[in-house]
This record gives sequence, structure tokens and C-alpha cells, in this order.
Amino acid sequence: MMENRSDKKIIEITGVTKRFGSFVAVCDLNLDLYQGEFFSLLGPSGCGKTTALRIIAGFQDPDKGEIVIDGKSMRDVSANKRPTNMVFQSYAIFPHLNVGNNVAFGLRKSGISRSEIDDRVSEALEMVELDGLEKRSAEELSGGQRQRVALARALVLRPKVLLLDEPLSALDKKLRETMQLELRRLQRSIGITFVMVTHDQYEAMTMSDRIGVMFDGKLEQIDRPEDLYARPCSKDVASFIGGMNFLPASLKEESGNVLDISTPGFGDMRIEINSNVSKHGPKLLTGIRPEQLEISAKKPSDYDAMAQGKVVDVAFYGESIHYFVGLDGIDEPITVAVPNYFHTMDYQRGDTVWLGVQNASVIDLGEIPDNMKD
Amino acid sequence: MSSLQRFIPGLLTYATLYLVFLYLPVLLLPLFSFNDGTIVAFPLQGFTLKWYGQLGQQDTLIKALGNSLIVGGVTAVFSTAMGLFAARAFVRYRFKGRELSEGLVMLPLVIPGIIVASSMLVLFISIGLRPSLTTIILGHTFVALPFAVSIMKSSFDQFDQSLEEAAFDLGESVIGTFRRVTLPIVFPGIVASLLMTFTVSFDEFVLAFFLSGNEPTLPVYIWSQIRFPAKLPNTLALGSLLLFFSILLLMIAESFRRRAAKSQI
Repeated sequence: MMENRSDKKIIEITGVTKRFGSFVAVCDLNLDLYQGEFFSLLGPSGCGKTTALRIIAGFQDPDKGEIVIDGKSMRDVSANKRPTNMVFQSYAIFPHLNVGNNVAFGLRKSGISRSEIDDRVSEALEMVELDGLEKRSAEELSGGQRQRVALARALVLRPKVLLLDEPLSALDKKLRETMQLELRRLQRSIGITFVMVTHDQYEAMTMSDRIGVMFDGKLEQIDRPEDLYARPCSKDVASFIGGMNFLPASLKEESGNVLDISTPGFGDMRIEINSNVSKHGPKLLTGIRPEQLEISAKKPSDYDAMAQGKVVDVAFYGESIHYFVGLDGIDEPITVAVPNYFHTMDYQRGDTVWLGVQNASVIDLGEIPDNMKD
Repeated sequence: MSSLQRFIPGLLTYATLYLVFLYLPVLLLPLFSFNDGTIVAFPLQGFTLKWYGQLGQQDTLIKALGNSLIVGGVTAVFSTAMGLFAARAFVRYRFKGRELSEGLVMLPLVIPGIIVASSMLVLFISIGLRPSLTTIILGHTFVALPFAVSIMKSSFDQFDQSLEEAAFDLGESVIGTFRRVTLPIVFPGIVASLLMTFTVSFDEFVLAFFLSGNEPTLPVYIWSQIRFPAKLPNTLALGSLLLFFSILLLMIAESFRRRAAKSQI
């Protein structure tokens, strides 16, 4: 296995529900997290992911259910006694303390000698590449440095689990991308379980061993990033992670693990059953990732299914170009993403083009949701 | 020149006249306190410091000053302590009656002092509390509280709640979190509130006049001296000193308040 997690469960969450008045923030959450993995809770804002994290941290008590960390029930264990530490979205650097004292904050209580505190602080700062900045005042820190101090301050206590609440959202894009890889590297090298909350799918995918996708307080799917991308369990998950063209289809025959379907535009196709999908029916929803479609002026020959349409719009993204192609029988234009190989934009609005797709690129998303039925 | 000035040419003149009218009488106070003559009228008679020199020899004045310092000090501590907790509750928690209680706390700002003073006197006497420094302190705490609450509220407004959570998460207790994080961060606000409420109490006359009995505070003492023309220059000197120290205290308070706002990144 690529990731560095073990089979030892470090957090077991069973049946956790949290209500705020009549609003159900977290609904029957069941989740096991393993020693040494990088886990992300991903979802739109208001989906309950931050509440879930705060329940693990002990800032909020669940109405129902139980949290076990490292074999011990966390019922009646308050946040300051749990083997978890948190990196806050705002970083919460104490403004009246310098970097060294910020990092040493949690050590001062534990009856550790002064010299050992100093050693551990400088070790922690070295880990986040801020060596020697102990005397720097909190006000002089840049955004990236503040985040590193927050990390060092939490990790110096050697928690069993590090909780990160949208840790990169306060940084600008460039720094965010650097920190994604750096956080990942740090997590691998120290082997502590990281649980991160984010609304950014790319962040979740680049950093995590596993991702849990949440909508409306419910955990919809838990999977490795590549499986989530290839086999989302529902339309919600499919549209939240990456781009997706949705194509309604009617089921002609189901045999073994393949489905024979018929779609408007692309005609008949034979696709694989998606094991993450719970329900199939005569009306199906399928999805095709924009980058897995071929676009060409002439009819391509080596594709399982083809369709002719008209370019209705073009969007230039720099590294790729998106063509929006209208097909007969489909309301929404199909998005095709083409890598920008030669600094050329081959098709203009109004051009007639051919689209090609392989059966393997068509994702079965199960029975069509009620809101998409005619 | 701002566009407003271009449209209304007399605006600058108006503002100048307004400020002169407002502050000239106040400036006359120190001016005449250095005048070598008992009559407060132009022309000036010559420069002297004797009115200031005589202040130190007046026992009743020293006594009144002592009373004012006691009342001001205790009032500052009471109102700031109450303001600290009230402000924290107002900023931090959403509870039933929050707006009502906040309104009630701020009410003393707009009730006429004479009404508060006379009703307090009636109340205190009816519960057997004779006019004394204690009753002045109670009255002053009441009028100083809105100042304390609004200063402490601006401190807590900018206070990031996750700072307290972070301290708690790092293993600190609830009390330890308050001591090691909350208190140091709002400390400049506390100092600003102490200075402000002290000044409010130190300068307050109406309540002190009604509630002081035979222990006058400095403003009450000054009022009693104004009746004697011969003592007037002394009173001017004393007034000038009060003016100077009040402005000084308020400036220090304001600088602390700004520091409180700045220290929260």
C-alpha cells in the first residue's frame, strides 16, 4: 500500500449525532480512522464537517453516539484532557507571546523541566522550518509562518491525532499549494494521524490517504482520492469532486458486473457497474469526466461511442481549454477539457465537432435522482 | 481643500468660532490661576505661583482630595470588574434579554444626574445607609459602569474566540486559560477602563454633592469654596491642576485602548 497508515484504529466514531435547535449538524456519523493516516472531511460549507471535527476535539458534546480515541471512550473527557490537538482556521496564535512561548504554551503545564521545554520547542520549530525564530514576536509573522507556528504548537505535545480546521484557507494560492505538499510530507515523516476539514476538493485529494465526503450532516462516501474520483457513489459526490458531465441513460440489460445502456447523444454503451452505488433502476444516471472525452473535427474511429454536436462556448484556463458542446437530446452542453499542448485553440464557437468516449470512462451513478426525473 | 469646504465657504470660520467658544473659558481657568490678583478680570496683574503654593496648606482640601482618590479608586475597580464580565457576556453569548440588559447597563449615560442623585439619596436613606464615601462609591459605580462596559466591549469585540479554545485545547484549564490568555490580551482595555472610570468619578459633582454628607469630594469642596471671593484664585489653581491631570489620564487611557485594539491580530 502506498500510504503509511497501519491497521490500528486510532479513532472510532459510532452513531454520533449533533443538533443545534432543530438543525441537524451531524447525523449518525460512523467513521473509523487509522493510526498514521491523513484523513480529510470534505464538503460544502454548512455540511457539518467542522462540527464533526469539534466533536472529536471535545469542544462540542454529541447528542448521541460515542467517540473512542486510542481505545479510550471520550465521554466526559473535556478538550484539554484529550490526546488530540488542533490547528485552528485563524491559527489562533497568542498575540501577547513570542514564537517560542506560543509553542511552549502547552508544555508549561506538564511539569517538564525548563531545559527540556527549550529542547522540544526548538525541535518542533525545526520540524516546521522555523528554526531559531523563538524570539520573534507574534505580530511580525507572515501568514505562512503563523500556520507553521500553529502546527509546531500542536505537534510539540505529541498528540495521538492532529486536527486541522481549514488549515490552508487563509493563505494565498501559491503558498497554499506549497503548504499542501509540505503538510503531507510532515505528516508522513512524523506518522501522526491527521484529520483535516476542508471545502477544497483539490486540497483534499492532493493531501489525503482517504477522504470522507459530507453533505447535510451525512457522510456520503469514504474512499481513497482516486477511487472517489473514479467511482463516486452519488450525483452529489460526483459533482463536488472534479468536473462531471451528467448523462441520463436507460438500462437495457444487466448481466454480471456490466450494464448495457442507451443514452441520448452517444447511443448504446456497455459500462461497468459501480460497486459504490446502492441502487439501480430502469432509469440511470451516468457521468463522464471532461478530460476523458475526445474532441475532433472529423469522426474519430477508435472510440466505443461517438456523438456529433456544436461548440456553444469556449473557456481558456491556461493549462487546459474547455469546450462546451451542445448535443441533440441533452439539455446541458457537454464539457470537454483539452490540455493546452501547443498554445492553440482548435475550435471556435459554432464549429461542428465530434466527441468520442470509451466505455471505461463512463461512470455508473445508479438510479436517477428524483429531482432529475422528467 | 475638501469638496465640502468649497461648497460651504463659511464652514472653516464656523468650526473655528465653535471651538473658541467651547474651549476659551476652559483656557481662562489656568490663565487666571497664574494672575497676581484676587479679582478675576482683565487686565492681568502679573505672574505668580502663590495660589498653587497655598493649596498644600489647606487641610480640608487635602482631606477632600483624599476622599476623591478613595472614591475614584474603588469606583474604578468596581465598575471595571463588573464591566469586564458584563462585556464578555454581551459579546460572547447569545442569551434571552441580552439587548435589554445591555440597554439597562448603558442607561445611566442618558438619565439626568440630578434624578439619579435625588432618587439614590432617597433610596439609601430609606434602607438606613447614611450619606458617606460608601454611598458616593455606589452612585459613581452606577454612572461609571457604561464607560467600563463600552471600553471592555471594544476589547472583547476583537478578541478571537479560538484563542481561548486553543489554550484549552493545549491542555490549560478554564481558569488557567482566562489567566494566561484572556486577561493578558484584554489587559490594555482593563487599564483604559480603570483610568476612564477613575476620571469619571473624580470629576463627578451632582451625585457626590447629594450623597457626600460631611465627607466632600474635591468637586464638592471646590463648589463650596466658590462662595468666598478671597479663595477664588486658589480654586482656579486647583481647577487647573484637575483639568491637567484629567486630560493626562484620559490620554493615557486612550493610548491603552488603542493598544488593546492593535494587539489583537
